[in-house]
Parts: sequence; C-alpha cells; structure tokens
Amino acid sequence: MFHRLISVSFAILFLTATLSGCATQQPAAPAQATAKVSAEQAFEPFHDIVNMAFVAKHVSIPMAENVMLIDARPYKPKYIKGHIPGAISIPDSQFDKMTDKLPADKDSLLIFYCGGLKCKLSHKSAMKAEKLGYTNVKVFAEGYPVWMADKAHYPSVSAEWVKAQIDKGADMALVDSRPKRKKYDKGHIPTAISIPDMQFDKFQDQLPADKSKLVVFYCGGLKCKLSHKSAAKAIAMGYTNVKVFAEGYPAWVAYAGKASTTAVAATTITAGEEEGSIDHGEFKRLVAETPEAIYLVDVRDADEYQKGSLKTAVNIPIDDLEAKIKSLPADKPVVFICGTGARSGEAFYMVQDVRPELKNVFYVDGEMTVKQDGSFTLKKQPG
Amino acid sequence: MFRKTLFAATALIFLFSAVGITLAMERGNKRKGKYTYRKVYKACMERGEVDSAKPPISPDTKTQAQWTQTFDSKDFDQFGCQPEWAALSDKDLTDIYTYLHDHGSDSPTPAKCK
Repeated sequence: MFHRLISVSFAILFLTATLSGCATQQPAAPAQATAKVSAEQAFEPFHDIVNMAFVAKHVSIPMAENVMLIDARPYKPKYIKGHIPGAISIPDSQFDKMTDKLPADKDSLLIFYCGGLKCKLSHKSAMKAEKLGYTNVKVFAEGYPVWMADKAHYPSVSAEWVKAQIDKGADMALVDSRPKRKKYDKGHIPTAISIPDMQFDKFQDQLPADKSKLVVFYCGGLKCKLSHKSAAKAIAMGYTNVKVFAEGYPAWVAYAGKASTTAVAATTITAGEEEGSIDHGEFKRLVAETPEAIYLVDVRDADEYQKGSLKTAVNIPIDDLEAKIKSLPADKPVVFICGTGARSGEAFYMVQDVRPELKNVFYVDGEMTVKQDGSFTLKKQPG
Repeated sequence: MFRKTLFAATALIFLFSAVGITLAMERGNKRKGKYTYRKVYKACMERGEVDSAKPPISPDTKTQAQWTQTFDSKDFDQFGCQPEWAALSDKDLTDIYTYLHDHGSDSPTPAKCK
C-alpha cells in the first residue's frame, strides 16, 4: 500500500513537472518577456506577448496602414498625459464602443499595451480583438513604463494636456516645428515659439537654458515627422523632459480652436491714459467681440487665476514672466491683466526692458474683478 | 482794509510755499517704479549681496510723508544694495518714489512687496 502511494506521488510530480515545462515553451513570444509576465501577473495573460524591440520595429511615424498600436489605459488621465508616439487610445473599458477605430483588415497587426506587467487591460483588450476575428494580435506586456525607461524615448501628449499646461501657465517651452512663414505665421498654438525643424541648429538657442525644463514639440499632425525629429535632436542636446504633441496643430484647432494668427497682427489698440495701458472701452469690446485678436495674459498667481479669469487668458504669474517672456507672440497684441493694474503694469515694463522689440504690448490699468464664469467688471482706480 | 489785504496776501504766500514744499518730489510713473524697484533687488541678488529678489522694504512700511522725506533727503542707505541704487537715474528714483508713496501705509491702497 505504502509502495503504491509513493509510486502515485512520483507519477503526479513527474506529470506536473512535464506539463509545466510544456506550458513555458508554448508561446511564440520572446521567452524573457513571457517569463516576467508569468512571474508577475495574477491574471490570465494573453498568449502572444512581445517585447520592446518588437514594438520599436513596428512603430513608425506615420504608422504603417496595417499596424496599429493601441493604448488600453484610461484616456484621462493616462493617455492624454503620455503615451507611446503613434498609439491610439482605446481604453479597455470602452473597447466594445470603440471597435470602429480598429482597422478594417482583420489581418492587421494589433499591438496592445497598458501600464506594465501588473496591468491586465491590454491582455483583456487583446482577447476581445481576437474574438472579433483579428488574426495578428500581440500584447506588449511590459508596456508604457518600460518604453519610457529608455532615455531615447519620449512620450506623446494630447491636446487636452497641452491646453491644461497653457491654462495653468506651466513652465513649458512649446515649440512649433513647422516652417515659419508657410505654417507658423498663418496660425499656431498660443504661447508657441517657432523653431522650424529645418532650422533647428540655427534657432536652438531659443530653447530653455535649463535642460531639465519641459519642452513640447508639435507640427502638422500624426503624419508629420518634424516634431519627432526635433524632439530627438533636443534629447541628443541633453534635454531630459521632452514631449511631442503628435496630433499637433490640426488636433489643437479641433479641440481648442484658439489659434494665434498673423491675420490679426494688424489689430490696432486704442491706448488708455497711462503709458502702455489699454482703453477700458476698447478692452471690453475686444474681449466681447474678437477675443482671439489679442493674446491675453493673466499675471496673477495660479491660485487667483483658478478662482476665475477671462476665458481666453493664459496664466503666467508675474514672478515667472521673465523666464517665459520669449513665449509671448510677436504677431498679435499682448494684453496683461491682473486685479488692480499693479502686476500687469509691472509686466508691461518688464517687456519694455527685457524684450523691447515687442511693440504691441498693453496692460489693463484699473480694478478688475473676474467671476468664475469669465464675466468681469472693470473700473478706474481712485487717485 | 490795508491790513486785511496784507494778511490775505501773506496767507496766500504761505499757502503756496507749503504746497511747493509738499510737491518737492515730482510725480513719476508708479507702474514703472514698481518694476524698477524690484529689478534693483533682482540685480542685487544676482551680484550676491542679498539672498532674495524680494525688496526688503514694502511701500506700506512708511507713511506717504515719510516716503517724501526719504526721497527728498536721498536717504537710500536703509535700502541696502548701494551699487544698484547709485546706478539709478533721477527718473528711475522718481518712479520708485511714486510707487512707494502711492502705496504708503496711509494711502488709499497700502501695498506689501510680495
């Protein structure tokens, strides 16, 4: 009896060991990535795992028609804040509603990724894609963290994120990599400076001196390579916080629709009584009728700005203005606002001192009270 | 009658003299003055004399009369950063005076330096 029990135990052990060995050899994906996946995942992994080298080999700008890289993480805040360049967003939770985004050709290569080895979203989405009939589905299980660990890599960001940075006056150099005369001068994202990729070496001194500062490049959309080329050059120069707004200017116009254009450069402003000030009636008219014709800068602190500001105003607190003074556009009037005219006046004189070539600059001299909805009252200050 | 006229003339002369003394410092541009005042300390910090670019004396630390007296007597030692103060033009000083005076402690809009 005892001998029989020993024999049965050995048989079970042998069988288990053999089956385990078979299981680790089964997937066609690179063994290293698979081993990590098995070790760290507490869920059923997708059967076809690929590593970063595979993804890098298939990701291109623009993406090939028969390849799709899919970010399965939530759109907000994950995807908009940073994703692998070229990836589209199909959050796993929204997969069933967004299948129309998948390619019509069921033999296309689909690579899903999410937030690393402990993230199951990409695996779940890949399984769903296979059920839909897609035949060439992979999961980049190490996902976004491993992609970003490579110092040569940079994230792509979305229009929502770029606008949020502009609105809160983030310390960001936004760079338009398109040709200046043909593209930038005809319309660009507010606060963006022009460094055409073709002339990157000539104008690279316009980038921040501090190489740890945030630099975001954009150009003409997902098929445009210029911003990616400039980003690579900036990284080679030693910039450590580089991002690309790959959907670029077309996505900005669709989302925010507040381009700066040279078309309004001819706007003439009626001056107020004090040097550099704008006439109150003129200011109210511009804000009501053609707010896009002026570049409005709220120089109050971020906490004041967040309590309510004019809808088209960007926030650059007075203490940060000198560092960001290069970001002020030269192709449209710049108008500074604050609560009383003190800080906006200081901003005006700072521009006169630091960037005197900028001629079309004004400030609102008066007591200005702005409500959360963007409506405001403006009156002359006593004395 | 003659005495009354003499008294009135004396009073008027006294009044105009008093006004003249009060307006000894001409008015400048307070907005520009604020920028110049802060710029003094930024330059001073970059030179290494002070640790902060924030001006050490706020407008509301003196009354308007005290500011007038300070600038009339050109008593700028209290501000520190002497090389920067010495380099300011009369126009700059007038602008700074106007800024500090207009936001003095007894002004309608007393101000602190942030």
